[in-house]
Amino acid sequence: MPIAFAALLAGAVCARGTELDAPAILPPPASGPAVGLADSAGLRATVFGTPPQDMAAMPSKVPLVEINIALPWARPVPDVFWFDRKLRVWFSAQHKPAPLAVVISGTGSDGNTSKLSILRGALYGAGYHVLTMPSPTFPGFIVSTSSTGVAGDLMQDGHDLYAAMQQIIAHLPRKVRINEIDVLGYSLGGANAAIVKSIDAVEGKLKIHRAVMIDPPVNLFSSIGRLDKLFAANIGSDDDAVERLYRTLYAELANLYRASDRVQLDEEFILGAAASVLKTDAEFSAAIALSFRIDLVNVFFAGDLYAGTGVVVDPKHPPRVGDSLETTQRILRNKPFSEYFSKVFAPFYLQHRPNSTAASLIADNNLDIIGDALRSNPDYYAQTNGDEVILDRREQAWLQDTLGSRIVVYDHGGHLGNVGERQQVSDMLAMLAGRWPGAAP
Amino acid sequence: MARSGALKLAAIGLVAAALAGCASESVSIRSVPPENPAAENAAAIESAAAFAAAAATAAATAGASTGEAGQGSHDTGHVKAPLTAADAPSMYTYDPWERLNRFTYRFNARFDDAVFRPAANAYLRIPSPIRSGVHNFFGNLSEIDSVINYALQWRLKLGARSLGRFVINSTVGVGGLFDVAARFKLPGAPTGLSATLGKWGMHPGPYLVIPFLGPSTLRDGLGFLGDYGTSYEIDVAKLYRGNVSWGLGGLNALDQRSNVSFRYYSTGSPFEYENIRFLYVRKRLIEDEGLHAKDRRKKPPAEEPAGE
Repeated sequence: MPIAFAALLAGAVCARGTELDAPAILPPPASGPAVGLADSAGLRATVFGTPPQDMAAMPSKVPLVEINIALPWARPVPDVFWFDRKLRVWFSAQHKPAPLAVVISGTGSDGNTSKLSILRGALYGAGYHVLTMPSPTFPGFIVSTSSTGVAGDLMQDGHDLYAAMQQIIAHLPRKVRINEIDVLGYSLGGANAAIVKSIDAVEGKLKIHRAVMIDPPVNLFSSIGRLDKLFAANIGSDDDAVERLYRTLYAELANLYRASDRVQLDEEFILGAAASVLKTDAEFSAAIALSFRIDLVNVFFAGDLYAGTGVVVDPKHPPRVGDSLETTQRILRNKPFSEYFSKVFAPFYLQHRPNSTAASLIADNNLDIIGDALRSNPDYYAQTNGDEVILDRREQAWLQDTLGSRIVVYDHGGHLGNVGERQQVSDMLAMLAGRWPGAAP
Repeated sequence: MARSGALKLAAIGLVAAALAGCASESVSIRSVPPENPAAENAAAIESAAAFAAAAATAAATAGASTGEAGQGSHDTGHVKAPLTAADAPSMYTYDPWERLNRFTYRFNARFDDAVFRPAANAYLRIPSPIRSGVHNFFGNLSEIDSVINYALQWRLKLGARSLGRFVINSTVGVGGLFDVAARFKLPGAPTGLSATLGKWGMHPGPYLVIPFLGPSTLRDGLGFLGDYGTSYEIDVAKLYRGNVSWGLGGLNALDQRSNVSFRYYSTGSPFEYENIRFLYVRKRLIEDEGLHAKDRRKKPPAEEPAGE
């Protein structure tokens, strides 16, 4: 929870951008309300996560190694990304032969988030070797692993993930004995996991058995479009919106601090301040929208740099280590995903895929590209929530219709607000182990 | 002397390795401290209870408040009017040495990745009671600076608390290894020269990234030097000038690093420098607001770039 609050603060960096041109190609406007299916409780669950008292039993010791790997296909690393040269993943090994669970992180996140820690604990406790990987939209992945540098294309990202997984698994310590590989992921990582399994079904290099999607999107762009709407509605779409939010938050925090008699602004204070500042649906929505926008800024910057589209990065004079990026960040802070799509993503992929159109790019970023497999192959599973923020009713119905008995919809949890909860963990383990009703042996 | 020379050489070697950006093999596997999700969850339950209590207090305060800041403070006589959004400092940070700072930030990140953080991770393998003792020991030594600076800030009640803590922990707490005072409801509240300078009106000054230490401001940097100089002059039990000083300095560094979960570039973001600068300076400015909360004189509105 303090993390969400820190995100609020971190996001309030700078916001006086330039005038936006009308984008030529736009993803479809997101349908339904900006909060998707979420009500107040769903928004709160999304920000606070699973209440600790509802968590599944966890082991008291999970060994962990950090693996940094330079991938053979990596391109030269731009100066400003000097720290992202290698792909970094985390691995927990069992001492005996065991199945390997590969877990993929959510949008913009690395391979060691608090949600991944929870899943790692649950999976390790259930006897799995656990490999946790960053999202293909995490800057460290974009730089070290992506074959395009322009993140967000489900199939392209899936191929990159699949290739990276093969390299990592080949370099695991020899004493690690793996008797089966399963993939799972949360949020965008859920969709990534299903795509990776579908690629493996063709290429057969890892022989992935089961895939579990936790709170996945259906149509990537409409989920993201909804978060853009949430940003515009609760923070604003004008140039001064983030600055206004920053000023309000600063004054509120300073007043609370002055009244507190503390001598240091520590975590305990932030905890209390969050309780005082985050109260209304609008404030929870702002926190959710802002934390997504912070991730988007990185994806936008990296994409623009690699694609040479020149929105904020001069392709002839890319920034170097000593250069200030404050203005760039300030401009990007105001740019919604639709602009990333129209100015970076679409121009790049239209050029590299001769027969594609803007409409086909949008259609390609929908889980229905593997709809047949999801429908007929009993090894795909999903978990989602009735008050999910990133889905509308039609998308949720599509998931239920496609997966049938292989999806479970919990009443409450918002987006990822019940990861690690007893029932979620128990169902996830049953799905992975083939103990779910109707599972194939 | 020979030992201290060897330590210096080793330190120089490690710095050189960090500067060269070592660990260039294609795959590296590093053991990191194991996780304990069961204990983390237990801690989260406590933290959630604290949050619920804080929320209840905040609600109660909001209900009882007349809109004045400082309702919860012990000394409401000199409370200033609450800040409004218009009083917030600029979003821009005064950073005239940005180019140098950015290179220093990169050096620190490399040093941390190659030397400091792995050493702190190794240190974390030592049993927790021993590490607590070390942490308490250094915390107790820093009480001396706190006593002096609270006196200089004319916050005598807090100074007396620090003095009380130092006396109790140095004696009953076996030379500071146990924080007995905290059990007597005397929790630590460290301060230093930077806060003293701030109290008497010195602005934080330009943002400054200090080699090895990390984000700072000019005033915080001067404060650090002043605090170290004071400790060096007082030289309690010959800890600062004797043969053990290098070893103790290293142990202090390990203790401090192992208590900070921050990892350079874990965000993977090219804007990390900007984000850290923003958060660090805003944190210090809000702490300064606390220092001036009960000043009689009204502080002029802050219109200049933050940190200037």
